Amino acid sequence: MQTNFTAEQLADPHVATSEKILRKCVHCGFCTATCPTYVTLGNELDSPRGRIYLIKDMLENGRPADAEVVTHIDRCLSCLACTTTCPSGVDYMHLVDHARMHIEETYRRPFWNRLTRNILAATLPYPSRFRLALKAAALGRPFAGFFKRFKAFEPIGAMLDLAPKTLPKASASSKPGTYDAAGERRGRVAILSGCAQPVLKPGINEATIRLLTRLGVEVVAPAGEVCCGSLVHHMGREAQALEAARRNVDVWLAEVEKGGLDAIIITASGCGTTIKDYGFMLRLDPVYAGKAARVSALAKDVTEYLATLDLPQQEAKGLTVAYHSACSMQHGQKITMAPKTLLKKAGFTVRDPAEGHLCCGSAGTYNILQPEISAKLKARKVKNIEATKPDLIATGNIGCITQIATGTAVPILHTVELLDWAYGGEKPVAISNLATKMPA
Amino acid sequence: MDQIAFLEPRPAVLSRRREIVADLLDLLPEGCLVHEPRELVPFETDAFVSYRRLPLAVALPETTQQVAAVLKYCHRYGVPVVPRGAGTSLAGGAIPQEDAVVIGLSKMAQILEVDFANRTATVQAGVTNLAISDAVSADGYFYAPDPSSQLACTIGGNIGMNSGGAHCLKYGVTTNNLLGVKLVLIDGTIVDLGGKALDAGGLDLLGVVCGGEGQLGIVTEATVRLVARPEGARPVLFGFDSSEEAGACVADVIGAGIIPVAIEFMDKPAIEICEAFAQAGYPMDVEALLIVEVEGSEAEMDAMLASIIEIAGRHGVKVVKECQSATEAALIWKGRKSAFGATGRIADYICMDGTVPLSQLPHVLRGTAEIVAKHGLRVANVFHAGDGNMHPLILFNANDPDDAARAEAAGNEILKLCVDAGGCLTGEHGVGIEKRDLMRHQYSEADLAQQMAVRAAFDPQWLLNPSKVFPLEGRPAA
Amino acid sequence: MTPIHEPLSEEAAARLVMIAGLSATPFSISGGGTRSLLPAADGAEQLSTRGLNGIVAYNPAEMTMTARAGTPLEKVEAALAENRQMLAFEPVDLRGVLGSSGIPTIGGVFATNASGPRRFVAGAARDSLLGVRFVNGKGEIVKAGGRVMKNVTGLDLAKLLAGSHGSLALLTEVTFRVLPMPETAVTIVISGLNDAEATAAMATAMGLPVEVSGAAHLPESVRGRFAGGALPDGAATVLRLEGLAASVSVRAQKLADAMAGFGAVSQCDAGLTQRLWREIRDAAPYADGTSRPLWRVSVAPTAGQQLVAALRLETGVDAFYDWQGGLVWLRMESDPEAALLRRYIKAVGGGHATLLRARPDVLAATDIFQPQADAVAALQTAVKASFDPGGLFRSRMTG
Repeated sequence: MQTNFTAEQLADPHVATSEKILRKCVHCGFCTATCPTYVTLGNELDSPRGRIYLIKDMLENGRPADAEVVTHIDRCLSCLACTTTCPSGVDYMHLVDHARMHIEETYRRPFWNRLTRNILAATLPYPSRFRLALKAAALGRPFAGFFKRFKAFEPIGAMLDLAPKTLPKASASSKPGTYDAAGERRGRVAILSGCAQPVLKPGINEATIRLLTRLGVEVVAPAGEVCCGSLVHHMGREAQALEAARRNVDVWLAEVEKGGLDAIIITASGCGTTIKDYGFMLRLDPVYAGKAARVSALAKDVTEYLATLDLPQQEAKGLTVAYHSACSMQHGQKITMAPKTLLKKAGFTVRDPAEGHLCCGSAGTYNILQPEISAKLKARKVKNIEATKPDLIATGNIGCITQIATGTAVPILHTVELLDWAYGGEKPVAISNLATKMPA
Repeated sequence: MDQIAFLEPRPAVLSRRREIVADLLDLLPEGCLVHEPRELVPFETDAFVSYRRLPLAVALPETTQQVAAVLKYCHRYGVPVVPRGAGTSLAGGAIPQEDAVVIGLSKMAQILEVDFANRTATVQAGVTNLAISDAVSADGYFYAPDPSSQLACTIGGNIGMNSGGAHCLKYGVTTNNLLGVKLVLIDGTIVDLGGKALDAGGLDLLGVVCGGEGQLGIVTEATVRLVARPEGARPVLFGFDSSEEAGACVADVIGAGIIPVAIEFMDKPAIEICEAFAQAGYPMDVEALLIVEVEGSEAEMDAMLASIIEIAGRHGVKVVKECQSATEAALIWKGRKSAFGATGRIADYICMDGTVPLSQLPHVLRGTAEIVAKHGLRVANVFHAGDGNMHPLILFNANDPDDAARAEAAGNEILKLCVDAGGCLTGEHGVGIEKRDLMRHQYSEADLAQQMAVRAAFDPQWLLNPSKVFPLEGRPAA
Repeated sequence: MTPIHEPLSEEAAARLVMIAGLSATPFSISGGGTRSLLPAADGAEQLSTRGLNGIVAYNPAEMTMTARAGTPLEKVEAALAENRQMLAFEPVDLRGVLGSSGIPTIGGVFATNASGPRRFVAGAARDSLLGVRFVNGKGEIVKAGGRVMKNVTGLDLAKLLAGSHGSLALLTEVTFRVLPMPETAVTIVISGLNDAEATAAMATAMGLPVEVSGAAHLPESVRGRFAGGALPDGAATVLRLEGLAASVSVRAQKLADAMAGFGAVSQCDAGLTQRLWREIRDAAPYADGTSRPLWRVSVAPTAGQQLVAALRLETGVDAFYDWQGGLVWLRMESDPEAALLRRYIKAVGGGHATLLRARPDVLAATDIFQPQADAVAALQTAVKASFDPGGLFRSRMTG
């Protein structure tokens, strides 16, 4: 559609990029239909098309962000269902990233909102701090109800609700090191240790390392790696995000120099989407642009990598798995078939819940910052999942696991935990009491 | 683009703006009225994005009673009202005006009842077209009219424009599949028209409300007919060396008494656009492509296809490609139904919607190419050929005012060509704001006067969607 | 005798109406006079379309025809048959039940929206009507719609004219869509079902992917009066399939298999099928030479048998069902029982009843059309005034 930017405005590379994105939008409105917040709230302002228009208006007029725009941009889950739907190829992700940067630069949030966001940004990306915070949360849980009575404190209540009752022990797999391939080596990969995931579910990376090494792949967990930066990136804290990206680029490329890497394996699709975007994020940095693009090209979701290994068909397990595709998996990285194909090959019966394109409401810190909408989406997601009458749920993102687990009694695991079991590993503890129904 | 004028805003309304907003806030629950100036901007247009007007406020009611309350208020104070479904109109049917309250039905999106024994579904107006089929497909039924925007467009909007779609060749358009509505009149009165019983008891008011472009009242609920899904359906691709041959083939297929479920046409530019988005496997080395869908049992589909292939052979068909799987079929339709949006990848566009008698297809295709070339523009054709409903997409650069003006002029000439060929201005998108000033090309003064009189019978003050459909000059004094 | 006007051209008709307007002389519009039982309004002069005769354009390859309103239906159907085409909605011929002798006209067919068995899947007359020309109450010649299949340019006035029973304007020309005639047709008969079972069987059949194009239930009381008594004993639930011969036989087998659980299944061939469905269309069993009240009742398909069952407890009725149970042909013993009938229609979820036949004095004293809710009636009055501000065209529908 038509845009109105001056040459001077377009001299800003961020504006120039956004202008190109806006020009592709024909305002057809298809994106509204698959947007979780539009479906929930029924207001175009809380839809991709509405947000695109708000952003366009703000940028064209060179205005600082205001409370209204911030409200609607904050409600965006960044699930990117709209980009899957969009026939015109509008790059909503980078447009909303730009808007968030603009908000962070030009808008002063109310005190409580600022505080909550600061706490999240200072905790979640750092495993040791996060672990400590969760322990504190265990003490605070009795007060969750109290906090939820006040609008400004709702996020604190939500945080307390989400914090697990017991925390697994710190895992060895989150420590740097090299894990040798069993038998003949057919590949070498780095694994992203991650930040929140190893605290909440260390078993995921443990299973990944077990499975990959068993399949003949050497796995290295490089020293010096930090959080991928996704969390602060989605808060619009660009400098912090880029700093994280640069550090990781250095660490991984050093590893490439050392022994070559076939892939950087990521077991949380939320992180994967961001790392695959490093190339774009650092495009304006002459020193890092090329390096970051190399890293992005190496980044692979664990299922994406496993799909290249041609795993054998396993016997049927008599277990029905509802596969929940994380938004960052299906919309962010457009990985839709690989996880399901792998699960089927591993002997599971796989079901696709209805409205699979809709977000579960986790979306990074969304379930903390927007607890009301998040709760509605969770309920809708759980209802659709349970309608398939599954024995268990599989997904590829820690956020979804945490979110959905608080809404259903059906066990939920990472896809790779099931694959590890199917290809020679131990049965995951979470489903130890599920009887496999082997066909006679 | 600025050729088409809107009504002058009523000063009496503009000057009471703050009061009106305050009153509407009282009438609606929290979060159901948009009135901050910056928040109104996203409502200034629909999918006919060339024209834009900010509304006074946007009401997003949650119940029929709230719709009635807002209408009653607007009626009392002479405030124009513009209804909005999903805002996917390609004719500007939902574009507001400065003194108007938009009533958006997006919060009314519940499926109220599915009644398989009577083959009906009763839904709120904000339910999307596709959601109805999705809700009944597990039981072997579907809702037949399928506008290409069916993913997003609402049933309320479909009723407003009497929307069609690819599969209407066999199953008819919205009016043929609509059994009843709950309609709120401009004064806030709620009436039920039609229902699960067929035909109207008295005058067929439902028949004129459907396609009334939101000028006769606001539909809040609809009862639609469900149809049993056929045993199988198979789209087949036919590639030709020229658009004229493809057009002539369509006329011969229908002329032979063969009515497939759908016959869709794409020319080379359209094929390239759609293939880039959907990777549906459309043949790329042809000038024109027909997607012909047949349905029924395997034997029926084979028999019908054999006849169609024979006719296509007489027109020098170059490629015949049967699709091999349900996934492939879905991709073929995904590409076709996303054609307009996918065009956005290469250019801005305006989409025409004239219908012509089948025998005139080759003539009008040729004429369209000439008109567009004369204006120094490009065109992509993708349309429902089986019923002669053409959709030339005129490609232009929206950031170049001269380009935009030429696109608009070319569009007008194409639509006049359709009318002169024995057709009409719009087959399924509606008149809206886009084609309003061309109405006199199709209708005489007496014809228009009669339509306006009927319109006024529902809304004597011309408050509902007032800038649309009827030329601004020559309207009866309100 | 009131004067009868038969203008020979659209212009003449327009002049006539304009002049009549000056003296406020009301008209009662008629086509071929097949519904002559309905008395004209007081003081109204007859205005007939009979002089507006002839097919204007017929393009088989485009499946459309344009004809002047007074063209006999027979002529239209004969021209279509030459090209193996037909009117999809199977216009009803009421001469039998009304005992009238007129000649049905194409204008009359559309003005009364007279639709037969295929209506519930292929639409009514109004759904085939693409365009009209008419003279409104001001004597203006107006056209609406056109001759293409898809047309949403402006208000769909053709829909309003269809079924308006001459209350809005004088139709002068109609353009309509036609369909290829099916190559063959068969009827699957399920015998011995009561009305409720038959309703369930028909609903099941309509949910199958076999494209049933007629679904009627003929209770035991009327079954013998159809098809010369050729249907098997007991009530007959009949389902029609049409299309290519190869396809019909496959679908017939599928349908027969699916219906076997409901009752004994048999099949009628093409010849018998044609006769049977013409008789169903025209309510042949009630072409009984009497003036016993005859209603045509439209309700939801599952409500038809509920309505009849409720009525049977209170009064003597004879009935059979078309449109999957949603069209009830209802013959009363003597009194039309309009109030009772309409009360029960409301009780079963709404619909409408039209009284087609009764003694002239009874017809005159009864609301032959379903009364409308107040707000709808007010709209109807306003719409009527928008066509005919002087109230020149008198009709039982709008007064």
